[in-house]
Amino acid sequence: MELEVNQTPVRTSKNFNINNIKLENVSFPSKILEFNNLKILNSDTKVTIDDLTSPIALNYGLGAELTNLVINNSNKKINVNINSKTNKEIQIKFDLDKKNSALLEDIEITANESTKETVIIKYTSDSSTFLFHDGIIRVNAKENSVLNVIIVNLINEKSSNFLAIQNNIDANAKVNYTIVDFGGKNSITNHYTNMTGDSAKTTINTIYLGHNSQVFDLNYIAELRGLQNDVKIEVQGALADTAKKHFKGTIDFKRGCKKSVGDENEACMLLSNTAKSLSLPMLLCSEEDVEGNHSSSAGKIDEKELFYIMTRGFSLKEAMKLLVKAKFNKILETIPNYELREKIIKEIDMRLN
Amino acid sequence: MKQNLLNITNLHVTAGGKDILNGIDLKINKGEIHVIMGPNGSGKTTTANAILNNPMYEKTEGSIIFDGEDITSSKTDEIARKGVFMSFQLPEEIPGITVTNFLKYAKSKQTNEPVKIFSFKNELKKYMEELNMNPNNMERSLNVGFSGGEKKKNEILQMLVLNPKLAILDETDSGLDVDAINTVSKGIQMFKNENNAVLIITHNTKILKNLTVDYVHILVDGKIVKTGSQELAKEIEENGYSKYKN
Amino acid sequence: MKTQVEEINRNIYDFKNDDNYEYKIKKGLTPEIIEEISKQKGDPDWMREFRLKALEVYNKLEMPTWGPDISELNMDEIATYVKPKTTLSNSWEDVPEDIKSTFDKLGIPEAEKTSLAGVGAQYDSEVVYHSMKEDLIKQGVIYTDMETAVRDYPDIVKKHFMKCVPVSDHKFAALHGAVWSGGSFVYVPKGVKVDIPLQSYFRLNSPESGQFEHTLIIVEEGASLHFIEGCSAPKYNKVNLHAGCVELYVKDNAYLRYSTIENWSKNMLNLNTKKAIVGKNAKMDWVSGSFGSKISMLYPMSILNGEGSRTEFTGISFAGGGQNLDNGFKVVHNAPNTSSVVNAKSISKNGGKCTYRSLVKISSNAPHSKSSVSCESLMLDDMSISDTIPTNDIETDDVEFSHEAKIGKISDKTIFYLMSRGLSEEDAKAMIVRGFAYPISKELPVEYAVEMNRLINLELEGAIG
Repeated sequence: MELEVNQTPVRTSKNFNINNIKLENVSFPSKILEFNNLKILNSDTKVTIDDLTSPIALNYGLGAELTNLVINNSNKKINVNINSKTNKEIQIKFDLDKKNSALLEDIEITANESTKETVIIKYTSDSSTFLFHDGIIRVNAKENSVLNVIIVNLINEKSSNFLAIQNNIDANAKVNYTIVDFGGKNSITNHYTNMTGDSAKTTINTIYLGHNSQVFDLNYIAELRGLQNDVKIEVQGALADTAKKHFKGTIDFKRGCKKSVGDENEACMLLSNTAKSLSLPMLLCSEEDVEGNHSSSAGKIDEKELFYIMTRGFSLKEAMKLLVKAKFNKILETIPNYELREKIIKEIDMRLN
Repeated sequence: MKQNLLNITNLHVTAGGKDILNGIDLKINKGEIHVIMGPNGSGKTTTANAILNNPMYEKTEGSIIFDGEDITSSKTDEIARKGVFMSFQLPEEIPGITVTNFLKYAKSKQTNEPVKIFSFKNELKKYMEELNMNPNNMERSLNVGFSGGEKKKNEILQMLVLNPKLAILDETDSGLDVDAINTVSKGIQMFKNENNAVLIITHNTKILKNLTVDYVHILVDGKIVKTGSQELAKEIEENGYSKYKN
Repeated sequence: MKTQVEEINRNIYDFKNDDNYEYKIKKGLTPEIIEEISKQKGDPDWMREFRLKALEVYNKLEMPTWGPDISELNMDEIATYVKPKTTLSNSWEDVPEDIKSTFDKLGIPEAEKTSLAGVGAQYDSEVVYHSMKEDLIKQGVIYTDMETAVRDYPDIVKKHFMKCVPVSDHKFAALHGAVWSGGSFVYVPKGVKVDIPLQSYFRLNSPESGQFEHTLIIVEEGASLHFIEGCSAPKYNKVNLHAGCVELYVKDNAYLRYSTIENWSKNMLNLNTKKAIVGKNAKMDWVSGSFGSKISMLYPMSILNGEGSRTEFTGISFAGGGQNLDNGFKVVHNAPNTSSVVNAKSISKNGGKCTYRSLVKISSNAPHSKSSVSCESLMLDDMSISDTIPTNDIETDDVEFSHEAKIGKISDKTIFYLMSRGLSEEDAKAMIVRGFAYPISKELPVEYAVEMNRLINLELEGAIG
């Protein structure tokens, strides 16, 4: 079937082909089976994990079809309730395979007042069959909490990957995201943040890497409503072969969010002359006393840098990989888990071969 | 008896919710050069901003009389037009307005009469030569892309053109090399006469070398803890402020 | 600190003559009306057929699904064609008194006195006044109204008319194709460099009348031209529509600068289409000031078809209360070694809304191309809105593309600095606003910079004393 998903908050000319993404020949799984390949690592007694997610509707999401699919048919519910300040790191790992070929998870994370925690959510698949993933992650950061969320998508390249993230951030709370988006034939992500409290902060650091004919569609929206809100969005990506990405990033300064700051930086390295980068970095502003900046760039790897590395004995391919990793490094460093970081670096090497 | 120009009495100032000045008294007469020295964070820049009533600083007590008038709560531009000038530590950059047009406009606001362009440009040129400034800067946007030294010289240029009764120089010498400091010092000498006064805020005695300083005040924790002659500045340069700190 | 900068005073433009016309077409749009317009204008057959085809396309196309809300527009209510009570004249003396006094107030004769190359001023739908320096005529430069061009230069017109902006572009382009009337035609022969700007002045007068002027400019190989368009309309209660069309052909090695100061009255819906096709090593520069209109949807476009072609866009929008200015720029890089530079600014105050909407497309057949975009928006109070909606479509790797945008208010520190030099708060803010607009005003010839000064500098200054 044909799907039109991931609408931008404000439309622009239809001819620019960026208001949404049209996906042809998407097939929803005919039957949703149980999903059993889930591992949760939690050594913190003050973090409870159960399946009692609340049935709150999404404010945004990828579109009614995909949202309802999860709401009505979810085969995994995970409710994480954080009452800890120790930041011990919780891991939630989904491994998709032939027997577990459809994942429709509904995750809710609540960071209670004055807590601090890191949650890693990882999607992998070793099998090369068609897999289907459609997930929802809801985050509620209560006053004075700090929550780090790390999402790693390494699903195979035959699959459909959909993920809708929704955040509500209260006063003085801080939510930091690191998103590694490598997998899927189509990887479609919506990331919506509602900053309701004063001095709420959020950072989103994303790296994506596309090769073959992968398509990425990233739709990030941050709405600032409190005083002194602070949003930073940094997206670094590389595209090889005929890969394609759409980045839609919106910082929306609502009336009343005085003294707020929003920064958005998006850079795309094009590693082949058939790769395509489409971007729409929006700033919407209904408040005077704010500072909003965005920058966007695209182009190939600097030839001088390549030459420099090659004079040190690296082949062109090796030099390219090295420079891609160098660009990604700043964001990779925000992942505290060493093993996970190494795994991602290996993935980069493998995917750029 | 010398005529009084500035009289600050028991001035208390807060900024960002913090007490910065805790009761300052300062009298400056016409024809005098005063120096305020003090460690970082002692309230030197706050004093300058308080005199010009920067809205980011709040006066909680005390008064400031300038040339016989109470300016404690006057608007910044009124204070400036009465004849107080401040050379900024970090002058603002204003794109799209040339140095010439800006000064012409500011001068006309001050004197309340139109400025004659030809003689004005000549005056500017003369001052710029004296201050070793690149004459092309006249047609560049105000402070935009100027080096640190060029910005400071541009402040002195503005002082000469606007010819105030009281010039407050807030660390105009910081970050400048010896030649530039001498140029600034030369600018002060050109400006100074019996009918005006200068208040220099500095860390450094180099700028004072060719000037006859009447009073040196040591500011610590928002209070003037000692007032002396030029000798005091030398002593501070040699021994620092530790003696005056609690 | 709240900004007290007064809104641009458009009252000096808001004088109107008695609605004095000899013919006003019945409201609504049918093939019969189109036939009638065609007959009135004495169109050749090909043009009449063209109009009817455009009407068919118009009826098929949908209204835009994005951008400002233009639902108040009811095409059935708008008389599309108003013919003023005068025929084409090439001497200032022959222009009727009431129209002349309108132009007097708009400063047209002054422009003439300062020995500009020519003035083609459009009063409602017909060009009423027109002149050009003789030496330009000798060099083969043609500057005339569009109807005359259709009659006298059919080959050139036929070859270019609505080929750059096809009627299928969007609904209002189709509408334009069906009902266009008036406008300018400029032809600069190979190698001729017109060193003084040509200018035209458009103006709407009749209530509920749409203006659909067509501008067609062809700058042949190696030639160069600067064309200036100024627009103003007096104020009426009912919605006025402007759906003009500007087609620019910049042939190989040629240069064209197209400058516009738009100051339509505040009930105007300005849905104008402007496009340029740029040849090998040619350059197309746009300078645009947008001050008037209730709603504006204006996105000039450069299509860089020739290798090594270049384009620059320098523009400013100033939206006051009740205005929604949705402006921007589009560029398509279609050949190797092409380059584009965009410098867009906007000012929003008193509840006004400015949107910068754009497209940069670097096609796969445009290696070694460069594009750099810079947007800056100034918010003068907390009632206003400023949005930036740029689309960047990069389809090949060997490019240098960068886009930067900033939104913010005037910094308190900067205001304090200027006030410490004796400027009042209002003066300080006005000075900063003028400085902000300077990169655009400096691109205009003196008379128009003065015009823009009158709109920003003096009006702002006068209003706040």
